[in-house]
Amino acid sequence: MIAVTGIGWLTSKEYGCLISKVNETHEGLGSLYSYFKHKSYFSSPVKNFGRFDAISKMTCFSTALALKDAGISYSSKHKQDIGIFGANKTGCLESNLNYFQDYIESGRILARGNLFIYTLPSIPLAEASIHFGLSGPLLHLLFNEKRIPSLLSFVGDSITGGETPSILAISAEETDAICFVLKQEDDISPGMNVGLQNVIAAAGETYTFDEMINAFKGIV
Amino acid sequence: MSSLKAVSVAFDMVTPYGWGTGSCWNGLLSKTSAIRRIDRFSTSLMQTNNAATVPDLKPNRDESLVMQMLTPLLKKIAPEIPPDTFVILATTTGEIEFLQRSVINGEQEAIKSRPDHLLNKIMLLAGTCAGGMVVSAACVSSSAAISRAASMIRSKERDSILVVACDSVSEFVTAGFSSLMALDRHMAKPFDKNRCGLSLGEAAGLMLLMSEERAVREKRDILGEIAGWGLTNDANHITGPSKDGSGLSNAVLNAMKSAGISEKEIGCISTHGTGTPYNDSMEMKAIKNIFGKNPIPLYSVKGGTGHTMGAAGLLEIIIGFETLNKKIVPPTVNLRDTDREAEGWVFPESQFFDSPVTLSTNSGFGGVNSALVLKKSEKIL
Repeated sequence: MIAVTGIGWLTSKEYGCLISKVNETHEGLGSLYSYFKHKSYFSSPVKNFGRFDAISKMTCFSTALALKDAGISYSSKHKQDIGIFGANKTGCLESNLNYFQDYIESGRILARGNLFIYTLPSIPLAEASIHFGLSGPLLHLLFNEKRIPSLLSFVGDSITGGETPSILAISAEETDAICFVLKQEDDISPGMNVGLQNVIAAAGETYTFDEMINAFKGIV
Repeated sequence: MSSLKAVSVAFDMVTPYGWGTGSCWNGLLSKTSAIRRIDRFSTSLMQTNNAATVPDLKPNRDESLVMQMLTPLLKKIAPEIPPDTFVILATTTGEIEFLQRSVINGEQEAIKSRPDHLLNKIMLLAGTCAGGMVVSAACVSSSAAISRAASMIRSKERDSILVVACDSVSEFVTAGFSSLMALDRHMAKPFDKNRCGLSLGEAAGLMLLMSEERAVREKRDILGEIAGWGLTNDANHITGPSKDGSGLSNAVLNAMKSAGISEKEIGCISTHGTGTPYNDSMEMKAIKNIFGKNPIPLYSVKGGTGHTMGAAGLLEIIIGFETLNKKIVPPTVNLRDTDREAEGWVFPESQFFDSPVTLSTNSGFGGVNSALVLKKSEKIL
């Protein structure tokens, strides 16, 4: 059996940790990095955070919240065998457009490597894995239906299949993101958690991000 | 060990050597490279004029380059694909021409470049109705897709899965790799002392995987087994590999554990072997971490096919099955002056070997690593 031991989420106005029942407003995504450092959600500075694309930033914010919610401490120097799987609505379409627009506007003289690198949808997950020291499997997935339930189910099956004892499941868009910490139930220290099937069922009955967060609040 | 085996019952591909597995195999054995001058966009300001492109593909408004590769492959194999087959697509840029045209000409079609749109086209051509997903993990994408498929079969979640992989040489990726100064001006020379970068390539391939039980029940030819897999992440650097190779070593160890074998059973290794100084050096360290001082033959296809990005893993798995069936380790094309680290391991000539097990590895941006243990079909043995 698989359990969810942490859920971190954020929108352009709010953030929260569902298991520990934290729900706060913030002053905007532009100032959130400083605020998260001040609140110790990031245990050390996130290297190169300023050059991250929007989805990489949201991925890192939601990962910090979910790990805090699950009570998992981390360091980029001490790697942990935790996987990180992500799925979002449009992959890296916006980053692809930004990179190629910039290249065309430069007169096709030289593309910018810093923009090119974000044309891979797995890179936001890689940025998070570097900061949080996650050395398990890393994959970006696009499902043709029921994105978040499909992602959670896929991650649960990967843990059951013996891939790795714990995997983060992340869905990050430019203005909202959610991260789940999934673990084998016999690998869980005493504390709060919720069964994966309950989370999948709650996610499957909602249509908007806000509805989904409210549904999760009802089951933790 | 689980008794449920994931076996390949059909595969096909198109590479810069031409259509079919045979053309790629023969091209590699001929020791000639398929890297040639790019003629589909201006390369005057790029780091190189060369890439391994598929002959006769032409950019056109009606059909993307990847669909020009995939349509004939899928039409040929479609009668063999059961409708209840799940489809996994692996690609890094898919139909990127739609996005290029959108930016250059202001056409509102960038959304058509999304890989989930491509997945729907593939499912239509394959005649399947059991859903699908896109797997993306940089240059590990298609080997990760194969490992996901094998894992789903082993866990009894699915018993028939089609893995499709593709990527094309475009201005989008060539300009990007040029900006990273990652390209060899002439041709990639994996494991050579004078290697200085990769050559881009394009390819498309597909592999139909089934549980052994279903394959036998349906009297399918079994072409080989995906016996074990490991995926890890360096968590170290976005574009550079971990210097000590520990991430890849762990992927190989996980793959051998998953297959229930030891390193002594592996007869040869298909490496990622891009031809960049850092990648090839990292791979040699990772392999020596496990195989110690007893060299076994290893090779890279990328001096011949170029680095086919999201398709690389699948292409190399198919060639891996060919090595098992033909008992030949292909030569590493463009290897002239073997790097000291690779001496005794990598060769410019083909080698004979006799083992039913091989290993295929890939690594990619973001620090991702994949290792797959491939076994020869016991029916062929």
